[in-house]
Amino acid sequence: MTLLSVQNLTVQAGEVPLVKGISFDIQKGEWLAIIGQSGSGKSVTASAIGRLLAPNLKARGKALYNGKDMLRFGAKEMRRLRGTSISYIFQDYQGSFTPFHTIGRHFDEFLKAHFKLSKAQRREMAEQTLESVGLQPEMYTRYPFQLSGGQLQRSSIALALLTKPDLVIADEPTAALDSISAFKVLRLLADLQQETGCAMLFITHDLRHVRKYADQIIVMKEGAVVEKGDKQSVLDQPQHAYTRSLMTASPSLSAASQLLKGDDTSCVYCN
Amino acid sequence: MTSRLTVNKARATKVFLSAILILIASVAVYAFLILKHDPSFVDLNERLLPMSWQHPFGTDHLGRDMLTRILLGFQLTVGYGFLALLLAVAIGVPIGVIAGFKGGLVDRLLMRVADAFLAFPDTVVAIVLSGLFGAGIENLLLAIILVKWVNYARLARSTVVAERQKDYITMAKINGLSEWRIMWKHLFPHLIGHILVLASLDLGKIILLISSLSYIGLGAQPPAPEWGAMLNEARPYFQTVPALMIYPGLAIVTVVLFSNLLGDYLRDKFDVKKEVAE
Amino acid sequence: MRLLQLNDVQKSYQPGIPVLKDINFSLDRKECLGIVGESGCGKSTLARCILQLEGLDQGEILFEGTPLHNKTERDIRPYRRQLQTVMQNPASSLNPKLKIRHSLMEPFRQYGAQVSLTHFQHGSEEEMARQLMEAVELSPDLLSRYPHELSGGQKQRISIARAISLEPALVVLDEPTSSLDVLTQMSILKLLDHLRDALDLSYLFISHDLLAIQALSQKILVMKEGQIVDRFEKGDLFAHERHPYTKQLVSLFD
Repeated sequence: MTLLSVQNLTVQAGEVPLVKGISFDIQKGEWLAIIGQSGSGKSVTASAIGRLLAPNLKARGKALYNGKDMLRFGAKEMRRLRGTSISYIFQDYQGSFTPFHTIGRHFDEFLKAHFKLSKAQRREMAEQTLESVGLQPEMYTRYPFQLSGGQLQRSSIALALLTKPDLVIADEPTAALDSISAFKVLRLLADLQQETGCAMLFITHDLRHVRKYADQIIVMKEGAVVEKGDKQSVLDQPQHAYTRSLMTASPSLSAASQLLKGDDTSCVYCN
Repeated sequence: MTSRLTVNKARATKVFLSAILILIASVAVYAFLILKHDPSFVDLNERLLPMSWQHPFGTDHLGRDMLTRILLGFQLTVGYGFLALLLAVAIGVPIGVIAGFKGGLVDRLLMRVADAFLAFPDTVVAIVLSGLFGAGIENLLLAIILVKWVNYARLARSTVVAERQKDYITMAKINGLSEWRIMWKHLFPHLIGHILVLASLDLGKIILLISSLSYIGLGAQPPAPEWGAMLNEARPYFQTVPALMIYPGLAIVTVVLFSNLLGDYLRDKFDVKKEVAE
Repeated sequence: MRLLQLNDVQKSYQPGIPVLKDINFSLDRKECLGIVGESGCGKSTLARCILQLEGLDQGEILFEGTPLHNKTERDIRPYRRQLQTVMQNPASSLNPKLKIRHSLMEPFRQYGAQVSLTHFQHGSEEEMARQLMEAVELSPDLLSRYPHELSGGQKQRISIARAISLEPALVVLDEPTSSLDVLTQMSILKLLDHLRDALDLSYLFISHDLLAIQALSQKILVMKEGQIVDRFEKGDLFAHERHPYTKQLVSLFD
């Protein structure tokens, strides 16, 4: 069943098109990955769907969430949707936490806003949630600067999944992490998706991050979709030269030794 | 659209700055090459004359040529202001750079000294020094330097502290540059812009300070043609011959305005972020 | 004789919290040794210690048999031209106020007169600059630009050119590709591999990206919490006797 259907989405900054009429569907419980380099319009697409665009950007087209066009929702309807059905995880995990509040306080405020629970119940639930993302319950009393990047991103994932959303929009959640922490966070995200059955709109610039977990892949370049399909067919038979160059640049580990050998086709994209 | 506005404003400032410079230069050429008056030549027969070709700004209560005095006042007021500024920069910047680069105890010591100086307002220091050593332009300059060097030390220090941790300083170290060369080659270029901006804004403030303290009799002493002192001498005539106050007043306003506009202009010019955006 | 040898190196910033524990390894000429680990595992501190930007608490760092550690800056300086580095952030490793030419030629200006070069032709500054730009596949036109006019990949190439300009014995590569996009990462890795061959360089390649490490290095050390937990030849990455942490990394990246 289609959860989100994006139809002919265009985003413009003044006269300059950043996203040029793209369309795709996300089924319930599906992991859709949008891959592209910086400037490809992938993050703008995610922001447009989440109604988080900067004021100078204008979106046209449709984003049907369960059949209703989110782009035409009022502020109140959007807020209700965000609180319950759609969650976000951002690249800038530091910006997602107020520096002078403890991690626990972030959880507490969030739980207070969305659930009717006593203080003790809220604390218990927060600590359980922290454990579910692989953090010690002691983190509850820590401040954001005392946590590593990976731990903070885990906390923000825990917050994003508290309301059991149907759709999680993850905009390069691993880009600011070192690649080891990134892969760990990615695996956590995949586990939680399995558990809760939510759909995932996953934005990334790294093909390696979608090899394992994505169901559908969209490759974007300069605001347009250059390749779209289910993971296997895109990875097995990439149609577009750009997809192929992305694939050579991110081989599997066992092929890494051969990465630097061979012809220099990729140098078309040097710098 | 915004960028066009900024560009127009920058151009207007540039035109205005050049216009003032040309105006001062041409008046000076006229006064010194064509008129040739002695600024302290007293002629009581020619006192309080209105403007004429011989005395374009008229004469003062002792019959001295006003234009000549205003122009020499430029030399005195702006010249001394500039001198004070230069010395303050020359003292403050090296101290700030060393404090920022060395860090630790040296830094703490130098900055506490700076804080102590910062605690006194310049006017108060000037008045106290005049009280101790007697009124005079030299003591006034000393007071200005004592107070102003702190600003340059702090500015230099904060810039150096911000830049010091960047990788390119580490790279310079790895490439075998000595500490002095790193300070000179890598840190100093970052300072010039900031310091020029602060200095050009300060110039106006210092000129105002010199003039206002001279006006109350603590700076330059008569018969020196200092603008503030001239204003003071002109006080008794301000109802009968207001021009005697208007000319030095205008001179001060023009120079202070010039200094502020120059400061704005330099700030825009040295703004690195703007460079990057372009 | 080993080019670089570390014996029992220990380092801590706060008493009781060691950042580096018992680090032992050596590196031969023309070799690329990869060190992989998460952020916070101490690998960048290790790089700073080897580059003599930090002192040691214990142990020794030998460069061609000569101890380097805990010397004064003046005594270190003769070794600096042999011991170069490329850092992670291309944006901050070049002085924004200086033209590319100036930053690039800094080591040459400092040491050029005393150095005999085998691969580059020792010539005028302009001639050297041109050769270096050619070596890193950049147009000489960029020399008169400022850093902010260059892309991240181009800046990183300039940093590489600067590091190799005096044909050093060892280049410490501290995450040289981590802040670049995938396609640029790949081209930089290729360039580094090519330069090592062409100029007989040795690399100490530090990264959190097991893929890049596996691609560029011949020997690999795995670091965790300040210790080396595993060491092996590139081909043995998938071998059975690997440390559990290495296996975990492999399963994450594969």
